[in-house]
Amino acid sequence: MEEKIQKINVPYLIGYILIPIAICALSFMIGYKFFPKGNGAVITFMVPPILSFIWWAFGGSFLFKRNSKNFEKTLDETGFKRAHTFYGRGKTVFIDTENGKIGLVFFWNPTKTYTVPASKVESAWVDDGKGGVGFMEGSSRVSFLFTIDGIKIRVDTFTSNQRFRMDSDYILTGISKAEVMVKMIEEAKKKSTK
Amino acid sequence: MGIIRKMRAPFHEDWCKNCTKPMMVMKKELFMLPVLVDHYVSHEDAAYFKKNLIKISKKADIPTGYHGCGIIKYHCSNCNYDRTRVKVFLPVRDIEKFEDMVYFEKGELDSIL
Repeated sequence: MEEKIQKINVPYLIGYILIPIAICALSFMIGYKFFPKGNGAVITFMVPPILSFIWWAFGGSFLFKRNSKNFEKTLDETGFKRAHTFYGRGKTVFIDTENGKIGLVFFWNPTKTYTVPASKVESAWVDDGKGGVGFMEGSSRVSFLFTIDGIKIRVDTFTSNQRFRMDSDYILTGISKAEVMVKMIEEAKKKSTK
Repeated sequence: MGIIRKMRAPFHEDWCKNCTKPMMVMKKELFMLPVLVDHYVSHEDAAYFKKNLIKISKKADIPTGYHGCGIIKYHCSNCNYDRTRVKVFLPVRDIEKFEDMVYFEKGELDSIL
């Protein structure tokens, strides 16, 4: 339980990207050497790239979602009272305000789940991503952040490839969600220190 | 003049829809709607509001992430017409994010005002 939080499992990250590339390269080589024509060529030249694409597009998120759901069940079974669960992009945060605990799952570390006492949270705040001046003022990302053991964890409540005005519905909803999460983290922290 | 005023009336919530005269504000109340951000679903049923609204005195009493609800009851003394306007909003910092606007014309919410 006292294990240090690891947001990224580096071997998994490298494997996630490189293993499909290596399999494709190997398959192309086999195809080039042994099956230059016919069905063998179709299989060796087309199937691995398609499977790789499917893996990159859906594999990671499938693992992450399954991991989050399994962890959710485990938490429920172990008496973790989920006051709020936030499914962020690449991170899932579970908060138990009653017992002062926080559960975490990371996209880039699907083999590990973390349950930490909220008293370990050093600070929590909202980042509205405000940038630009004058009529260009706006944001394309709203998130809440908290630090545990000096590790900063950022969870996005809104992201876009466009910049929105600070009074737009998207930004305001994002800010509101982030403020709720920060409030809950602080509430859990208070309970945790008691 | 009358036709232009009739055309303008739908854009003025405090104008009587029958005679287009400005209506009197009979009651103005602020409520909290205990629904978290992103969970509000539009309702046109007065029973929903009667069941869920909690009276508050100021906007600051609305907890972070919960919705507020401003209710105004208008009365037209000229043609004895009543209209209650329910505005659902999400307070975020100093801004009210508009969520929904519902009107009642038969005094459905009088019991909570």
